[in-house]
Formats: sequence, structure tokens, C-alpha cells
Amino acid sequence: MSTTNAGLAKKLGYNNIRVFLAGEPAWSKAGYPVYASNGYVKNGNIVLIDLRTGGKAVDARIPRAIPLTYEQLEDRIDDIPRNAPVVLYSDNEEDVLDALEELRDEGFKSVSLVFGNFKGWVDSGGTVQKGPIFTTEIKWERKLGKGEVSVAEFRKATNGELKDVYVIDARTKEEIAELGIFKNTVNIPLDEIPKRVNELPKDKRIFVHCSTGARADLAYRVLIENGYDAKFLLLDISAPECDCPIIMPK
Amino acid sequence: MIKQTPIKMLLAILLVSLLSYGCAQDTTSSGQQSKPAAAQAQKQKENVFTGPIVGKSNKAKTISISVGKGDDAKTVMLRFDDKTTGLEHAEKGEAAIISWEQRGDDKFALSVKPKLAKLPEGVSEIKVDELYQLISAKTPMTLVDARPESRFAQAHLPGSMSIPVDELQEKKATVLPEDKNKLLIFYCGGYT
Repeated sequence: MSTTNAGLAKKLGYNNIRVFLAGEPAWSKAGYPVYASNGYVKNGNIVLIDLRTGGKAVDARIPRAIPLTYEQLEDRIDDIPRNAPVVLYSDNEEDVLDALEELRDEGFKSVSLVFGNFKGWVDSGGTVQKGPIFTTEIKWERKLGKGEVSVAEFRKATNGELKDVYVIDARTKEEIAELGIFKNTVNIPLDEIPKRVNELPKDKRIFVHCSTGARADLAYRVLIENGYDAKFLLLDISAPECDCPIIMPK
Repeated sequence: MIKQTPIKMLLAILLVSLLSYGCAQDTTSSGQQSKPAAAQAQKQKENVFTGPIVGKSNKAKTISISVGKGDDAKTVMLRFDDKTTGLEHAEKGEAAIISWEQRGDDKFALSVKPKLAKLPEGVSEIKVDELYQLISAKTPMTLVDARPESRFAQAHLPGSMSIPVDELQEKKATVLPEDKNKLLIFYCGGYT
């Protein structure tokens, strides 16, 4: 994308163009901070943390923010899902950069900052929330991505409650021989799906799963390419959350 | 080859446009849409797929790659075996060139090579440390994030502005600085 834009800009007569090919991932990997836009801070599916000390959050805070000082954040770090995008702000640059580094080291995939911290938010016209804070509970739920089926709906299908759904297990025959297969499910290993795609019912929705969702995602793309109404389960099926009925190997 | 109906193709385009955030799949399309399409068709005749890797499964021994641009974009799945070379380049999101052969019903990958981004003439690459120094020194420049706006919203470099490719194509110089000699730096989601 950056090279495409550079090509367009060159055609438009710009003559001092450079491209940062390694891009945002390299910038973050080098430990440098990235920033969230105000709209995302306001409406994004994020965990927003106010790092300021001395109860300043009670006086005024960015709506939805959870007040946690740097020390409290260290204690509460396992309360935040690692795949949740976290946005931080404080009233001093040092605290917010320390917390950014800590969260990245802990394996958080997306950590960004409010530009200019709390003052930057207010100065750029952001609204604030005032008054006592009754809970610092962290509630965050991942939204389903494109093509994903919810665990609840998938479970219904394996329970035989959804007659319009055909469930495929894309794991290998060896994995199924060892671990069993969900009820109301047909095993078609991922590598066989392209050549066996015509075996699938055209009048049903198709759910695909594997062990973690990686192969199911790839199988889903093959099915979509072939015109099927398909979804895939992005879940470690050994997790308690899965809770689908299994036919164990004999 | 799989025959595609227009609706299937639209789905494929949507999918690819939603899932591809890298750079290199666009490297050949700097304003000349017809040439890459022709080149792509030529490449496919020679049993070569070029595009971003969608995913690889070591258990199923398959590689999925997004092939073609615009109306032709679709995801193709190939099998691989112990003789396939360069599997380390078949990493999700990396742009790759896969040569393959048909064996029965299956396409088998023979080799995977990385596809390196090509910069337009007169445009130079900037590395992370130099960019950090320029930003820290408050060097006058326009820093542009070329990714989709949603990606920019979540996390962008300090002082950058969002101009996705389609916006620049549509609005042209009106979204860029007036001074054409001013330093203009573009970035996106990595080498891919």
C-alpha cells in the first residue's frame, strides 16, 4: 500500500518521497509508541486505562476509562485478555511509556496511547466523564471476525439443533483417531477439501473447525471461493469454553 | 482452473481487500492497472502464483495464497511435501512467489520465494531508526499511513495522517501538502 501511494504521489509531481517499508509492525517492535485516534478511544472495542495517580480520574476522565496506576496495572495485568486492544493515557509521558513497554513485554498484541495524554484529549475536544468510580472490573469481549461462527451457534450445530448446518472437522484422520470427533460432524482434512468440495450439500450452511481455527480459516476460504455459505470456528477446541459433544475413539 | 461467477468473484475481492494489509501486493499497481493483470495471466500460465500468503498448515501440509488483483483476486490452496523448497517464506502475510505443478486433482508447491517490494524510481526506503530520529527532531515532513482507516485508528505513528490508497487515487494532490518538495513519507503494515 505504501509503495502504491508513493507511486501515485510521484505521478502527481512530488519529488521528495520516501517509504518506510518495514511499516508500523517494525516501529512497534523497536519499542516506539503508537497512537489511537480519538474516535477509536471513544467507540473502539478496547480496554482504556487511566494511569494517573492521586484520584484524578474521579475529577475527570475519558469515558469508559478504568483507573489503574502503574503499580495497580502490574497487579491486575492478568485480568486483561492478551488479545484485547489496550489504550493508555496518563498525565506524564514517562508513566505511559513504562506501561506501554510492560504490556508489550507481557505479550499484549495491540497497545496504543492517547496523543498528548489526558490534556491532549481535552485540548482536542474530547468529552470527559466526572464523578465517583464504583468498579474497576475489566470487561472485554472479542467481537467475531469476518467469517467466524460463535461458539454458542457452533455448539448447537454439533448438538444436532441446526438442521440447515453441515459441520466439517478439517483435522487429519490421525488426530481424530486419537482425540475423537464432535457429534453431527464430518471429517474432511484440510488438504482434501479442494477436491472433495463437490461432495458438500449446496443447500446447507457449512461450519468448519479444526484444533485451533487456523486450518478452519483456510478451509473456509476454499468454501467461500466455491460459493458456499461457510463459517469457521476460531477456538482452541480443547478449551473448557468449547463444551461440544464428542464421540470418543473406540 | 475454477470458473468463477461474478458474485463469487465479488466475495473474493471483498475478502482479499478486507484481509490484506501488507504492501507488496500493490507494488506492481502504481497506477497502471492493465499491465499487472496481463503479467499475472502470463505468470499463471507458467504455473507460478504471486501474492500474499493467506496461511500455511503444517499438519495438513497446505499453503493458501491470494492471487490476482482487483476483479481477479482469489485465494488458492496448494499442497506441499518434503521436497518443497523455501517453506520458511510461506508465512502468513508475507508476499511470495510459488511455483507449482498439477498432480492429479491437487496443485503441489515446488518452491516458495519471497517477493520483494519494488520502489518507484527516485523513491528511497527509510529504516525505523532514521524515521524515529526525523520524528524526534520534529523535521518538517508529511507522514502518511497508507493502511485502511480502521487500522490507522487503532494504532498509528506519532504525527501521521491517514490516506488509504483508494483515497489518494480519488482525491489526488488535494489530500497531500501543497509544497511538492516537502519530505513525504509513506508507510503501511510491513513488507508484505
